[in-house]
Amino acid sequence: MTRATDKQFDGEEAFIDGDGPDSLSPSVVDGDPGRRLPQDDDDEDPDGHDIEAPRSQAALSDDEVAAKIRALEERLDTMIRRPGALPDADAAPPSRFTPSKTVPPGPDSTVFDTARELLSTEFYMRKWGRLGMRNRSEEVDDFGKDPVYEKKVEPFFDFLYERYFRVECEGIDGIPADGRCLLVANHSGTLPYDGMMIKTAVKREHPQHRDVRWLAEDFLFHFPFLGSFSNRIGAVRACQENAERLLQQESLTAVFPEGVKGIGKLFRKRYQLQRFGRGGFIKLALRTGTPIIPVAVVGAEETNPMLLRIDYLSHMMGIPYIPVTPTFPLLGPLGLLPLPTKWKILFGSIVRWNEYGPEAADDEMLVGRLAEQVRGEIQSMLDRAVKQRASVWLG
Amino acid sequence: MYYGWTAKGYRARMGSSAARPKAGNDLATKAPSPAGGVVAVVGASSFLGGNLIALLEEDDRTRRIIALDSDARATRSSKTRAYPFDLTDPKADARLAEVLAAERVDTLVHVSFLSAPSYAAAWAHELESVGTRHAMVAARHAQVRKVVLWSQTVLYGAHPSNPNFLTEQHPLRASRKEPFFADKMEAEAEVLRFADRVPGSVVTILRTAPLLGPTVQNYLTRFLSRRIVPTMMGFDPLLQFVHEVDAIAAFKLAIDRNVPGIFNIVGDGVLPLSTVIKLAGRVAAPIPHPLAETAIAVGWMAQLADAPPSFLKYLRFLCVADGKKAWETMGFRPAYTTREALLDFTSAQRLRDVHLLHEPTA
Repeated sequence: MTRATDKQFDGEEAFIDGDGPDSLSPSVVDGDPGRRLPQDDDDEDPDGHDIEAPRSQAALSDDEVAAKIRALEERLDTMIRRPGALPDADAAPPSRFTPSKTVPPGPDSTVFDTARELLSTEFYMRKWGRLGMRNRSEEVDDFGKDPVYEKKVEPFFDFLYERYFRVECEGIDGIPADGRCLLVANHSGTLPYDGMMIKTAVKREHPQHRDVRWLAEDFLFHFPFLGSFSNRIGAVRACQENAERLLQQESLTAVFPEGVKGIGKLFRKRYQLQRFGRGGFIKLALRTGTPIIPVAVVGAEETNPMLLRIDYLSHMMGIPYIPVTPTFPLLGPLGLLPLPTKWKILFGSIVRWNEYGPEAADDEMLVGRLAEQVRGEIQSMLDRAVKQRASVWLG
Repeated sequence: MYYGWTAKGYRARMGSSAARPKAGNDLATKAPSPAGGVVAVVGASSFLGGNLIALLEEDDRTRRIIALDSDARATRSSKTRAYPFDLTDPKADARLAEVLAAERVDTLVHVSFLSAPSYAAAWAHELESVGTRHAMVAARHAQVRKVVLWSQTVLYGAHPSNPNFLTEQHPLRASRKEPFFADKMEAEAEVLRFADRVPGSVVTILRTAPLLGPTVQNYLTRFLSRRIVPTMMGFDPLLQFVHEVDAIAAFKLAIDRNVPGIFNIVGDGVLPLSTVIKLAGRVAAPIPHPLAETAIAVGWMAQLADAPPSFLKYLRFLCVADGKKAWETMGFRPAYTTREALLDFTSAQRLRDVHLLHEPTA
């Protein structure tokens, strides 16, 4: 088995060596150098047995006939022994010879059985149900991420990343190659594309192509379609329990501590970080001993410039606010399409708090101070990038 | 509540061979005597009760089994004694106390709960909520120290604000307006009150995920046996099941070991509803949820629908529990994952679909 030319033969040879499935087609077996009985099956397979051979050569001497008989007996023995060598596949060897020996079963019975099966609605229902699985994997992870579905929608995000937002990354190598890590980013855009773009950025640009899970706001999961869609591609509902579980699984998790206040901020307040919740992400990091990487997303704040926010109707619909952008109620759902701004994602340097233990999470004063420190870091990164930027559209 | 049996202690004691608890269990407040304990099963004719009795009959550690149900019959083995007995009877507590005392029962297993919502809400309330109170009063009276109660993870309620994995500390937030949930929550509260009042009691509450398997019948199997399964348009919650065999094994474990507390008994892994329907070979019919709620509310009132409208929330939002505590404290590991439980159910259901498998309806 030293041939390295074609890999698929290796697998087949392994089968034959172990006297594996005899259902292998004869052509594969014949062309195979690794099998044990090279000639035997060759002249046996077409007609099953070759009793005619000695009869046609009647002029042979007795010794020759005896030798032939011995050889035949030997072959018979090996044939009998072969199934014995494979105790768990005793049903397989006969099946190899059935096509030539046994009479095919009555045609009418099988035909009608098949017809009945094909005509029953049950059959079609089952096929239809199975067909739906082609874009779906049979198993999802704890939080409902579906790898097959994710692969299917990946080109769409690649397009957004490469062509639409033309995302540029900086400092992405600062993300550790493995282990838990928390990406803390500013949140913006009336519709949260930033989580997906951070995920795509790390998947494409990071040397280890790590997978990012991001924590999404509650209100997303009230919505039809949106919640289940983001769940399948890797968003997780933001709460302490989920975040802790993610980090315990050593995953790279993106959080947006501004939350709804971030995506709901008005256009005139762009790039001004809102309050960082109650410092939940700091508590999380301290409790689980997770390093933090501050992340600044520039360009996302102009995708859906919100001029006005209608709050009083929204509670009835279970959403935090109704946005009014230059295009939104005007053009209908089309108005929610993001503007093609030029994005830049800056990854800051990693922050570790080894000097504090998990018990520091209960120290509200410390948590507040650390949250403010991270917030200041992101704000200065944002300010710097916005100042350097010449154009919203071209960067 | 008394949580004497901690995870660390459990591991230290059991060491590497965690297969079987030792007979002389020092944690036992009232360990079964070497001759074997006496286990009373309330709801002996139910799926869990019947299977549990069959399992206990095989075990030498159980000396006698007291089967209690309205149609309890002693047919299986000489170990089992059946007492026909109706929990909805106003005098049920006195009669039950009499039986428990006479048989010197040391473990009471209460699994007398409906597996699917009933139109007869008043009767269901008498059976589940008031019935549990009768059982607990009787247990106190007869000085039964150990109680095992069947509860369900659906009682956590399906909410968009649920964490992906609910732990036992999470409050029960199922709709209190729905008798099917309210009665079971009251039953749980009743048993917890018993635990508080009776010193030295060992009360185990097993909250199972929806049971699924080849033989069990409940609202979920009814839902999945439809050719066309209604779903809520745009919602695809993650679901979690536990195989029927695993659920029965968990009860056996709770009877054998003295582990006070509440435990989620769930299968590993989750599956989105859409995948569940597809794996079961069914066709999903997405309906906008406001429409479905109205339709099913009318249908339930007219006794045409299978489930009340409050069940629709479980088709929209998440209600998945974390089984970590059951593993760490009780040593329970499910043998089947959620997916395997579903596939096991599906293979039996296929036979039922083409009338090759007939079973009496539960």
